[in-house]
Amino acid sequence: MKRLKAGNAEVSVGSVTDALTGGGDSWIRGFLSGVLALIIAVVVTGLVMLALGADPIEAYDGMINGAVGTRPAFAQTLLVTAPLILTGLAAAIPFSARIFNVGGEGQLVAGAVGATAMAFWFSSLTAPALVVLAIAAGIVAGAIWGLIAGALRAFFQANEVIVTLMLNFIALLLADYAINSSWADPVSPQTRPLPAGVDLPIVWSDTLVNLGIVLAVIAAIVGFFLMRRTPLGFGITATGYNPAAARIKGYEIGVVTLAVFAIGGAFAGLAGAIEVLGKHHALVPSMSASYGYTGIAVALVARLNPLWIIPSAFFFAAINAGSNTLQATAGVSTASSLVVQAVFVLSLLALRVIRISYPEVR
Amino acid sequence: MDDAITGPGSSDGATRPPLGAAVSMRGIVKSFGPTVANDHVDFDLEAGEIHALLGENGAGKTTLMSILFGLLQPDEGEIILQGESVTLSSPRAALERRVGMVHQHFMLIPDFTVAENVVFGTRSIRKVAFNRPEVEREVAEVSDRYGMRLDPSATVGDLSIDVQQRVEILKLLYRGAETLILDEPTAVLGPAETSHLFETLRELRGRGHSVVIITHKLGEVMQIADRVTVLRAGKLATVAERGSFDEHKLAVAMIGHDLPPLPEGHGTTRSDDPVLKVHDLSIPSDRERRSVDDVSFEIHGGEILGLVGVEGNGQVELVQALAGVRHPSSGSIKVDGRELAGKRPAHFYDAGVAVVTEDRVRWDMIGDLTVADNLALSGVRVGRYSRMGILSRRRIQRDAQRLLEEYDVRPPNPKLRASSLSGGNQQKLVMARELSRNPRVLIASQPTRGLDVGAADFVFRQLTKLRDNGCAVLLNATDLEEVMGLADRVIVFYRGRIALASPTSELSVSQVAAAMTGAGANTGQTAA
Repeated sequence: MKRLKAGNAEVSVGSVTDALTGGGDSWIRGFLSGVLALIIAVVVTGLVMLALGADPIEAYDGMINGAVGTRPAFAQTLLVTAPLILTGLAAAIPFSARIFNVGGEGQLVAGAVGATAMAFWFSSLTAPALVVLAIAAGIVAGAIWGLIAGALRAFFQANEVIVTLMLNFIALLLADYAINSSWADPVSPQTRPLPAGVDLPIVWSDTLVNLGIVLAVIAAIVGFFLMRRTPLGFGITATGYNPAAARIKGYEIGVVTLAVFAIGGAFAGLAGAIEVLGKHHALVPSMSASYGYTGIAVALVARLNPLWIIPSAFFFAAINAGSNTLQATAGVSTASSLVVQAVFVLSLLALRVIRISYPEVR
Repeated sequence: MDDAITGPGSSDGATRPPLGAAVSMRGIVKSFGPTVANDHVDFDLEAGEIHALLGENGAGKTTLMSILFGLLQPDEGEIILQGESVTLSSPRAALERRVGMVHQHFMLIPDFTVAENVVFGTRSIRKVAFNRPEVEREVAEVSDRYGMRLDPSATVGDLSIDVQQRVEILKLLYRGAETLILDEPTAVLGPAETSHLFETLRELRGRGHSVVIITHKLGEVMQIADRVTVLRAGKLATVAERGSFDEHKLAVAMIGHDLPPLPEGHGTTRSDDPVLKVHDLSIPSDRERRSVDDVSFEIHGGEILGLVGVEGNGQVELVQALAGVRHPSSGSIKVDGRELAGKRPAHFYDAGVAVVTEDRVRWDMIGDLTVADNLALSGVRVGRYSRMGILSRRRIQRDAQRLLEEYDVRPPNPKLRASSLSGGNQQKLVMARELSRNPRVLIASQPTRGLDVGAADFVFRQLTKLRDNGCAVLLNATDLEEVMGLADRVIVFYRGRIALASPTSELSVSQVAAAMTGAGANTGQTAA
């Protein structure tokens, strides 16, 4: 940590690691920096809207209504929350080992393809069995997609950022291929619908909110348990903080690398299965609305804590859902929600990295 | 050049003779929350003296000097410089009063040259860049005046640690400092570098400068100090002039009571078969020459083998190979007959090898994890804390609490982040984890680095206790007297080879010191 003195106060500039994890800040402090970042994001975006001639108050009012104001709006937010929790986990667990998985997008798509494949290949099974099989296949396909990157990193020291990014494009092309294969729908550019009854049960009546959100919350709890209560999670955390010390104490960096990619990929793959089974009931071309990338921001805001990923994902989902109404209510482009997101994440990272304090007790 | 001077302490400070920088600190009080670091401390420094500030870890030495250096403000008390009561609001203000401090961790820019580092901040970079030869000549002049022999055009990052330290001292002299405070200056130095540093300090004294060295090493105080101030638990324990103190008196003043002598007699429980057997071991290095070249030695159970040498002669590589993190190019490492060369660190652990490296921040602990997690680092991996794959945090905490008390780690709070402990307590933490395993082989590199007499004494006792329990100990340390006081046998490394190998009882410190510089008569390759 670099320090600059200014009178009695001290400005310290932390590392990227501090930005990811909050540098050991207390939760109060982490929460306050989140609130402050949100205020900055709202003000900055408001100024942008003003400059464009729109009324920011009206726009934000429309956004909040569109996110949580009505039953369908709230349902829409929850529908988006589910995949974001899972892609958030897909980023957070590798990040805990300081391995940068930006491949959540591809792993999600791989999971969607895997789930769809089961539904078509084993269509003679009963619907409930098929749902279970499809979910399992989604998890496995995502894990395999993650493991490709993991193996390249562990055995050949390939840069995982580049590899996972490339694998995203490959997964998307693979999905396109699957859509145009024998599964293709004769009229629309997607696969035929899944066999009847092969879908996730609705958990909130009169909405589209399905079991996916429940599975995602369970996944976050599993992720938390894995990181805090298993030797593997301990090894992942230890390796992330100090690979040299973890190695000399017998933790294998290669094993940790493979493990985090398998686990991260599995979570993203589950998201893909949930999207297919719960939302689209088919494999569609734009399977993921950048959920894989938004998941990275979700994980950072949650400071890599799997439980905090739940509210963090909800927050991003709300902005996403709310932006859909912006165009209608305030005549502002839906892209302004992206401005809110981006300014929020950047301010938060800046607030966590730079902080002003008084000299520490020595 | 006069137009180029913008910073404090203009370069004329380096040219005119020092005034006689008497310092007097009266009734200094400084507390951090509930901790009183300095409790009504008086400190007097006369012009032209080398003054040792002695005390255990956490006795308040660094706090007191940080106040003198303007980094901290006292809650109470008065600082008098040259007869004038002053307020030092910042290090810059202190430097204007000709007081400067060399910190334990150097504040140099590795990519800059010596000259650039020295003048950095006193004038604009642009002016340095365009007047390079002139600036370098000027820096060389100051350096030569104090007999420091520094090449102003050398890049600081390429210099060894002792030379970097000289650059730090030169930086202060160039800025006109007359009172120099050195925080644990010998912690990073070997014996030869230490005596070189002391020469420099004597040279400074001869020119009327006054020097404070913060230390917890009694031997150094005896060697160099004209006067010593001893702090204990934040209070002034004693002040003594040269001639009126000896090591024993200082130790008692420092820790407040007498230390019983270490158990006499070296290993009596030596096993018949060697526990650790290293044969024809060679380790490649990044440079052309091998870092460890065809080395063989054995350590029996119940025996401490001392490994000494000037830093950079292959000791670090040997320790890393014995931990399993560096692969040898040839040769064998056997523990109880099991071949381990080329195996993973986990295999070394399973064979009963415990390791304390010389770089605890990098290799021995994970600063961002809690104290408890650090103590459980190996235990978690081998499944000691899990049942059916689930970790018991409670058992980790409980074991940690016990170890913290047993090894007197302060504060004994298992939930703190390890990086928040002081250096000495971090060292105790690492020792607690490795020693509590009851290892077959202990590789201990600089195990007392940063520890005060009391804590070092504790480590010595633990090492001898382990030895008496039949453990084979490799003790790698820079302090010759420490190694020779503990080890049954000593091997001296010079350029990756064993320059001297002999039972300690047949060696003198001067023989060992000679062998460390390659002047030893015995250049045998193996140690019995």
